Amino acid sequence: MSERFKYREDREAHNAARVRALEALLIKKGIITDRTVDTVLEYFETKMGPFNGAKIVARAWVDPDFKRRLIEDTPKAIAELDLPDGMAGAEGEHMRAVANAPGIHNLIICTLCSCYPWPVLGLPPYWYKDPTFRSRAAREPRAVLAEFGLPISEEVEVKVWDSSAQIRWFVVPERPAGTESLSEMELEALVTPEAMMGVAVAKAA
Amino acid sequence: MKLQHYLGGLEGLGPVSTETRVFVEPWETRIFGIHTAMMALSAQLPLPQTPSVFHTIWTWADLRKGAESLNPFDYFKYRYYEKWLGGISGYFIDQGYITEDELDALTEEYYADPRKPLPRAGDPAIDDRVTKYLVEGDSPARDVVATPEFSVGDVVTIANVPSVEHTRLPGFLRCKTGVIETVYPGAYTYLCDTGADGIGAAMAVYCVRFNPNDLWPGNAEPNFSLYADLYARYVSPADVSESIKAA
Repeated sequence: MSERFKYREDREAHNAARVRALEALLIKKGIITDRTVDTVLEYFETKMGPFNGAKIVARAWVDPDFKRRLIEDTPKAIAELDLPDGMAGAEGEHMRAVANAPGIHNLIICTLCSCYPWPVLGLPPYWYKDPTFRSRAAREPRAVLAEFGLPISEEVEVKVWDSSAQIRWFVVPERPAGTESLSEMELEALVTPEAMMGVAVAKAA
Repeated sequence: MKLQHYLGGLEGLGPVSTETRVFVEPWETRIFGIHTAMMALSAQLPLPQTPSVFHTIWTWADLRKGAESLNPFDYFKYRYYEKWLGGISGYFIDQGYITEDELDALTEEYYADPRKPLPRAGDPAIDDRVTKYLVEGDSPARDVVATPEFSVGDVVTIANVPSVEHTRLPGFLRCKTGVIETVYPGAYTYLCDTGADGIGAAMAVYCVRFNPNDLWPGNAEPNFSLYADLYARYVSPADVSESIKAA
């Protein structure tokens, strides 16, 4: 039994060698090419990522009508924007945005796995995939948010959305005070993946 | 029952991770790329044929089945992409694409010389299909008439379907009562047929709101609601006794 609680001492070196051996075998056997993994990774660096979500949120901040359309029909509103092809692609086929407002704070979780809206947010950060987060956020979201440095008072209603079917969720955070003079592009820089999942709020720089 | 189906609400786990990185070791990027390529090359997709010899099905459901079949201690012990590495390596071995012996032997070679280069090979059509999958996705929406049994505001009780290999029903919602928040338009498949669990074929999907104090009586925070997207299979008419309580 004690073996179950031990890691091998060369844990990461072994993992690294094993994944490289696997990739090498898959190339050798003709399953993937020597460019396949890099093709995927480059796609997430340039086409699918939180930079898209930041543009969507910044537009919602400057255009209340767009924000209303975004909440009503998320994919349709996103399609209005000049974003890369694929905003309804893998893990974004059916997305739904929910908006924070005075008295309402939204938090997105996935208690069964790690469902995440790839086209607009890219890949999930480690905190989102952490079994402890996934367990605790369902029952004690305020305690969890406090650990992220985000105190939410009991007067604010917390809405926790568990992604267990086809919908991939994200949050439209509130526009921070004191940003009235910022351009849309400057506003984009204030939008983090954490704010778009609800473990943070957007802050003026 | 499997612990992995019942994560929501577990107590005594200590602080959450606030790690904002997507990958914490460089090798993790490679297993993510392999998994995504497998999904893109999976046999059931209506995408162009390629010279890849991959001829079986690999979806999120297969990855999830692997994670859900782990010993619960291992599930908590191993980091996210370590579980992926184990599950994906196991799949290629089980399906006969590679042998465990050749994987072990080559692992030793790369362990001894991490800079040993990867082989150079492959037809670009394979990578074109991978990109096409990322752009087009694989929508579970189906153009069939779904006649939703419930409407917004209906009180419903969550079914206690047989516990099998894989499910999309969070365990902590079984037998609990909630209120329909959204009836999603259309009908949605799941990536595989989950057998007695009952999803796979196109069916309605609901978003259901739960009062956390009904889920964990006296032991949930105040002024919050938990919403879950649930396939129609999991949603039943309210138990009469439960609906009185929820009203």
